[in-house]
Amino acid sequence: MSEYKPQFYPGSSLIAQNRRKYLDLKYQLRRLRSISDEDIVRLLGHRAPGEAYKTVHPPLEEMGEPDCPIRKLVEPTPGAKAGDRIRYVQFTDSVYFAPLHPVIRCWVYHNRWRGVDPGSLSGRTPLEGRERDIELISKDLLETELFDPARSAVRGASVHGHALRLDENGLMFDMQRRYKYDPEKGEVVYVKDQTGKPLDKPIYVGKPLPEEELKKITTIFRADYISLRDDSELMEFVQRLHWLRTMAGANPELVKGV
Amino acid sequence: MPRFPDKIDLYDDRGKLIDTKVPLDAVSPLINPAIKKIISIIKRAVAVDLRGLERSLATGAVGGRGCIIRGRELKLDIVRNAPAIADKIEKLVRVKPGDDTEVKILRGGENLLVMVPSLRLEAGVEYTTAFTVVAAALCHVLIETFNISMWDYDMVHAAVWGRYPQSVDPMGACVSQLLAVPQQNEGMGYALRNIPAAHIAMITKRNAMNAAALAAILEQTAMYEMGDAIGPFERYQLLGLAYQGLNANNMVYDLVKENGKSGTLGDVVRSTVKRAVADKVIRPLKKLPSGYVLYTTDDLSLWNAYAAAGLLAGTMVTCGAARAMQHVTSVLVYFNDLIEREAGLPGVDFGRAEGTGIEMSFFSHSIYGGGNPCVFHGNHIVTRHSKGFVIPCVAAAVALDAGTVYYSPERLSGVVGEVLSEVPELREPLKYVGDAASKIKGEV
Repeated sequence: MSEYKPQFYPGSSLIAQNRRKYLDLKYQLRRLRSISDEDIVRLLGHRAPGEAYKTVHPPLEEMGEPDCPIRKLVEPTPGAKAGDRIRYVQFTDSVYFAPLHPVIRCWVYHNRWRGVDPGSLSGRTPLEGRERDIELISKDLLETELFDPARSAVRGASVHGHALRLDENGLMFDMQRRYKYDPEKGEVVYVKDQTGKPLDKPIYVGKPLPEEELKKITTIFRADYISLRDDSELMEFVQRLHWLRTMAGANPELVKGV
Repeated sequence: MPRFPDKIDLYDDRGKLIDTKVPLDAVSPLINPAIKKIISIIKRAVAVDLRGLERSLATGAVGGRGCIIRGRELKLDIVRNAPAIADKIEKLVRVKPGDDTEVKILRGGENLLVMVPSLRLEAGVEYTTAFTVVAAALCHVLIETFNISMWDYDMVHAAVWGRYPQSVDPMGACVSQLLAVPQQNEGMGYALRNIPAAHIAMITKRNAMNAAALAAILEQTAMYEMGDAIGPFERYQLLGLAYQGLNANNMVYDLVKENGKSGTLGDVVRSTVKRAVADKVIRPLKKLPSGYVLYTTDDLSLWNAYAAAGLLAGTMVTCGAARAMQHVTSVLVYFNDLIEREAGLPGVDFGRAEGTGIEMSFFSHSIYGGGNPCVFHGNHIVTRHSKGFVIPCVAAAVALDAGTVYYSPERLSGVVGEVLSEVPELREPLKYVGDAASKIKGEV
C-alpha cells in the first residue's frame, strides 16, 4: 500500500470501473468504425477538405519566442507550432446510457490529449484547441467506443435534446436534423455538418450499439439502472471530499490523519 | 527564531539552485526585503506616456475614447523635450536630496518612469499619492516649459489627468499607475489584487515562471492586507506562495520538465501526487473494496502547496503545449477534479480554485461575455474567490500565449507594462526574492 500507483477514480460499480478505464491511457480504446480524414474535416465545417489551415499567428519557428524557460521545456502541439486558429468540436451525450457525459468527457480529454481546452455544460461538451489538433482528436473520438452514433452526437450549435426521449430508431432528438437513421445500411448518417449546414455528400458514422451493449460501457449513473447510491465506496468518497473541503476551510490544521 | 518549522530550497526560473534550507519565514511579505521593495515600487512607480500626451494635445483628443475638442489643439514638442521635462518633474517630486526619487527616460523620450519618494507616501494614507503627485507635477512642468496660456490650462489638465474627476478613474490619462483607484477595489485589502494578468505578463516579458511569481507575490501579499493570512491560515498562504509562486524545492520546474515533452494534464496530476507520496506529505489511509487507496495527510497546508504547484505546472504544460492562454480555466477546473479523485484529498484551496475556474471559464469563453484571460485579476468579480492560487496560473497562461487572442496583452497593457518591465525586481522576481531570502535566512 505504500508504493503509489496511478488510480484515476474510486468506486466498485460497473460505472466507476468504466470511468476508470477510459481515464487510463494504458487502456486502448476499442476502434469500432472508420471515418475518413476528409469526412472529419467536412463534419467539423471549419475548412474545406484540402484547404490550407488558416493561421492566427506565424509558425513559431518564424516568429521566434520570448526567452522563457517553460517554452523550452514544453513541446508545442503540431497546431500550435504551425500557428493554427483555435477551433472546436462539440459533443452532446444522451442521458440514456451514452458512453460518456460532459464531465467525464473533460477528464478523458485531459488525460489522453495535450493542449486541450474542454468545458462541461449541462448537455454539451465543447472542446477547443488548435485546428489540426482538434481534427486528430475528433477522429479518435468518433471512431472509438467513446462515441455511439445514436446516443452521442456532434453538434456545434442548437445542441439540446440529450435529455429527451429517443426516437423510434433509438436516436436523440436534434432540432437541426443533422443526422438520420439509414434503415438499409443500419447506420447513422450525417447530412449536415456540426453547425447544421447541409453537406454535399453524407457522412456515415456507423451502426448504433444495442442498448444492452451500451449499458456495459456507459459512464452514467442512473436511478433506473446503476445508481450512485448503489456504489457505497463512491458515496463514501464523495462525502469524504465534501467534508474535508469544509473542514479545511474552517481551519486547515483540523485535517490531520483523516 | 523562525515562526514556522518549514525549510525550503529556492530555485530560479531556470531550475538553478539559489539556496538551500531557507526558513519559510524568509519569503514572508512581512519580512522578505525584495518583496517589500516590489510592493514599495508598485506603490511608487508611475508611467508617463509622453508620446500619447503629445498626440492627445495635438489632436484635442482628451478624456478618453470618443472625446475630441476641435479648435483646442496644442502643438507641443513634448517628446523632444523629454530630458528637460524629466528634470523638472524630478525637482518638483523630490522631497530632499538623496531620497529615493527616480525619473527614467525610456524609448528616446516617449515614456517616463517616475518613482515617487517614499517620504511622500509615508506622509499620507493612500497609494494614489504617486499618481496625483506626478500628474500635477507634469501639468506644472508643461505649462512652464511651453509657456502655455492660462486659457489652455484646462486642456493640459484633461490630457494629463484624463476625464478625472468627472470619471471615477483617470480615464484616458497619459499618466498611469499599476494599481487601480481605491474605489475600484472589491473590498478591503484588494489593491494589490487589482492588477490584470496582461500587465503581469508584460512586466515579466512573457517569462511564465516570473509572471507566476510576480502574480503570487501580489496575491499573497494582499492576503495579509485582507485578513486572510493570520493564525493557521498564515502558514497555509505562505506555503502556497513558496511552492506555487517561488518554485520552492524546484517543484514547478521539475513537474513541467517531467511532462513538458509528451505529458498531459492528467500526467501532471499523477506526478504531483507521486511527489507528495515520495516526500511523505500524504500517506495511504486505507484501501477501499475496489483496491483504490485513500490518502490522508497530517499537514493539509503543505498538501495544498504541493497541489497548487501542480496546478501551475499543469497550466504551463497545457497552455504551453497549445501556446494559448484560454486553456487555463479548463486546467483550473479539471486539474482539481482529477487530483481529488487521484488522492482522495481536497484540491487547491479546498475547492475554491476549482470554483473560480468554473466561473472564469464562462466569462472567458464568450458564454456570458467577459474577455480573454488577460483582463482577469484577483479583484475581478469572477476570479476573486480563490485566495491567491488562481491568478499566478492565469498570468503564466497569458505569458505563454503565442498570439491567439484579438486583445493581446501588448494591446491591453500598453505603456504601463512596457515601462515597468524596466524595473529588475518586477521583471525577475524569482531571482530577487530568492536572493533576498538567502541573505536574511540566518536572521529570521
